[in-house]
Amino acid sequence: MPAARLMACLVTLGLLTATPFAQSALKPIAFSDTRLSNGLRVIISEDHYAPVFAIAVSYAVGSKDERAGRTGFAHLFEHMMFKGSDNVGAGEHFFLVFNYGGSMNGTTSTDRTLYYEILPKNQLDMGLFLESDRMKSLAITKENLDNQRQAVQEERRLRLDNQPYGKSQERFNEMAFDNFAYKHSVIGSMEDLNAAGVEDVASFFRTYYAPNNAVLALVGDLDTKTTLAKVEKYFGAIPRQPSPKPVDLAEPGIKAERRESMVDPLARLPQLAMGYKIPPASHADYPALSALGQILGGGESSRLYQAIVKEKELCTGTGAGSGARMGPSLFNVTCSVRAGKDIKEAETAISEVLAAAPTAPVTEQELQRVRTSARRSAVGLRESALSRAVSLADDAVLYNDPNRSNTWPARMAAVTAADVQRVARTYLRTDNRIVMHTLPGAAAPQPPTPTQTR
Amino acid sequence: MTRTSLAILTSLMLASSLLIAQESPRSQQPTDFTGVQLKNKTPISNEILKVKFPRPIESRLKNGMELLVLEEHRSPTIQVEIAVPASSLNDPEGVPISSATTALMRLGTKTRDAKTIAESLAALGGTIFFGVGDRYATVRFSTLTENLDAVLALASDLLFNPTFPQDELDKWKNQQLSQLQLVRSQPDFLATERFAEAMYPGDRRSFVLPSADGVRKLTREMLVAYYQQTYRPEGGRITVLGDISAKEIAPKLEALLADWKGAGSKPPDLPLPGATKGRRIVLVHRPNSVQTAFYVGNHAIDRLSPDYIPVQVLNRVLGGGPASRLFRNIREAKGYTYGISSGFSASRYFNHFSSQTSVRTEVTGDALRELLKEFATIRNQPVPADELENAKRALVASFALSTENQATALSNATQIKEYGFPADYWDTYPEKIAAVTAADVQRVAQKYVPLDDLVIVAVGDATKIRSVLAEFGPVEEWDSEGKRVTR
Repeated sequence: MPAARLMACLVTLGLLTATPFAQSALKPIAFSDTRLSNGLRVIISEDHYAPVFAIAVSYAVGSKDERAGRTGFAHLFEHMMFKGSDNVGAGEHFFLVFNYGGSMNGTTSTDRTLYYEILPKNQLDMGLFLESDRMKSLAITKENLDNQRQAVQEERRLRLDNQPYGKSQERFNEMAFDNFAYKHSVIGSMEDLNAAGVEDVASFFRTYYAPNNAVLALVGDLDTKTTLAKVEKYFGAIPRQPSPKPVDLAEPGIKAERRESMVDPLARLPQLAMGYKIPPASHADYPALSALGQILGGGESSRLYQAIVKEKELCTGTGAGSGARMGPSLFNVTCSVRAGKDIKEAETAISEVLAAAPTAPVTEQELQRVRTSARRSAVGLRESALSRAVSLADDAVLYNDPNRSNTWPARMAAVTAADVQRVARTYLRTDNRIVMHTLPGAAAPQPPTPTQTR
Repeated sequence: MTRTSLAILTSLMLASSLLIAQESPRSQQPTDFTGVQLKNKTPISNEILKVKFPRPIESRLKNGMELLVLEEHRSPTIQVEIAVPASSLNDPEGVPISSATTALMRLGTKTRDAKTIAESLAALGGTIFFGVGDRYATVRFSTLTENLDAVLALASDLLFNPTFPQDELDKWKNQQLSQLQLVRSQPDFLATERFAEAMYPGDRRSFVLPSADGVRKLTREMLVAYYQQTYRPEGGRITVLGDISAKEIAPKLEALLADWKGAGSKPPDLPLPGATKGRRIVLVHRPNSVQTAFYVGNHAIDRLSPDYIPVQVLNRVLGGGPASRLFRNIREAKGYTYGISSGFSASRYFNHFSSQTSVRTEVTGDALRELLKEFATIRNQPVPADELENAKRALVASFALSTENQATALSNATQIKEYGFPADYWDTYPEKIAAVTAADVQRVAQKYVPLDDLVIVAVGDATKIRSVLAEFGPVEEWDSEGKRVTR
């Protein structure tokens, strides 16, 4: 598009769009960053707004660290962490936290395993004791393992096997990655979950659940100095372990488009999933890729929503965005195809929008939405002690940069139109993508007819 | 609310239980609850933080609307909700006039088309949602402080100048029809659909979502008429939460809403049904399912019931959260499920109790047996003292967590207004919870936890679970289109 026409276009849009007022600068999230002698990294951020505090413990272990034949193990292990330790009975952890007015959970991803509690401020000792006792002395018994194996297998059924599109999503992931680390699902296979034994738990615990492989973040109505002293008291004596060998996450690269389709008897409408291979979230291109995701698929003002959902009515919903990972990742584009529409037509229309991205002008309004969205996220982070604790712990474990959320809005603000076009050109290539079509099974019921009873 | 005053309000108070605890330290003998082993070595504070919810500043706009403002400066954001009397329960059966109206109000005004509206909101970092529930139609918006005036101007344009474009309505209807098909693949939707129909047969409360037929019937004229009749301020309320004072926001709202006058729609006349009699088992056949999704319950209490407080304690013991009996037994001890809970839906128009879980197909009968066993136990036996104390403490101690987000304080204040509670309702809530006895819990359990009179909805592969369910009572079958199947 010639420059003059681009300017005219900007001016027109400028008239239609309300102009935001000057933004007050957000104060950076202040925190202390200490390492105990056993290697445990401790991050404390005071926030005296409400009489609560949050603990987040992020261990640098995820499904990427699993070996063949033990898929799903990192997550199964996460469940074991609630089954007791030397001084805490099976289930006592959640029993105490909830009965004293708190909340807690654990979550496992490809890259890390995170545990958190949020509690009234007077339960600091409780929270630290519970987290330290399991880091120190997990109760590894066959009974506990069998018990949680069942819960995890139910979780797999609930989230994946009994849901439409669950299995094709798992297969899509297998197609996208060549390296075993990311190729298999976090939830794992039923066979591998059945194969896991207590010796696996013991060795995993020794290797990965060491203080030098974890970050402890505390945020809330706390005093940094006394809190740090308590952390030293509860965690200081846990012995350091040899650092686990980092897993090689490198991907050999993709030479041609990979494409499959799957019939899903639980699905009623087709679903399209596309993924473009991108580098890790620590790569310099990541902010521009994040901006590209927002421009293409972030909300009702995005290009895909306007073209595919509103104008052409091919999908009920669509999304686009970069997955943040330690290792090579994907830029994902999804579409739930409308009843009566053809998935191929939907794919063609989406591909046109993506193919245009390297040359289509990126408007100042689009960039402004990207900046505003980053600011909005930064504001959101300040509204909950838990979200801040999780962000500090995870950013330290994944990127060795607990300050990442403080610098993020400025990094997003620095993304230019040329950056967005350049990453679109670099990564949104047909020969760099994985495509999955999920189709309703032949056994799937027919759509309702207008005359039927409900 | 400033930091200082909040800190004073939440200063520590010694709970009476602390005095007892100091005299008789907790037993060092390990104790067990089903599914949980207690070693009792964890250091615990027996203080319960006393939380007093801040009260919003109340005033009235010139057009008669109530204004509640809760000022707090944690982050540079402001949330505003404008609510007028209206009810989705006034819609003709299955025809979603009220929700279609709310959807279209975002999709075109005299001066802005849908795309411009979406772009403006994204640029401002604001959100605007129109919604409708059983008692109010609302416009709810949030904004960064610096963009308040621009978001207010946009919200009032959407509220006062909607054009309900025909092409946008057609597109919206098409999208809804696809979505109605999509949700039929989800077991949870199929379960709630049948459960709602069993609880509120023959009236609008039985529609979890509109019918496809109802969506097709919608016309632009219906929406325009509904909008003109309903969006009136009389009996309405505005709530404001966040980075602005009552003094600053009131004149802005006056300026925008001064010309808005008149009365809207009347509340629906829908009586609260009594418990259904006998066992009714509703089986929804979802081919290829590997789990059975249960929704089990019956009618219980509405929000005005004097039993509301003991019922909170009862539910905390039975199925409210992971420390409850259902979770500890059916997930932790038995391993039948990933999650299970129970709850009371107690409002002006809804009055049911239900428990939900999904279990692997093979243990469908065993899981249901355990669930009913827990229902029977809480009815037949008083809750032991320590378990009762845990539940009561949890309910009050968790107040501290809700002070992180003052939306709770605001919603507590509006509940007082909506249900006509005394002004100190929430201040005395901890005392009311503390006064609940084991006998109270057993009494309300016998009254509201259903056993013989019970609706059981089960969504799964009928060929595998039909006969097992028949052990629990007469089974009727439905398909996943929502049609009764005769066998």
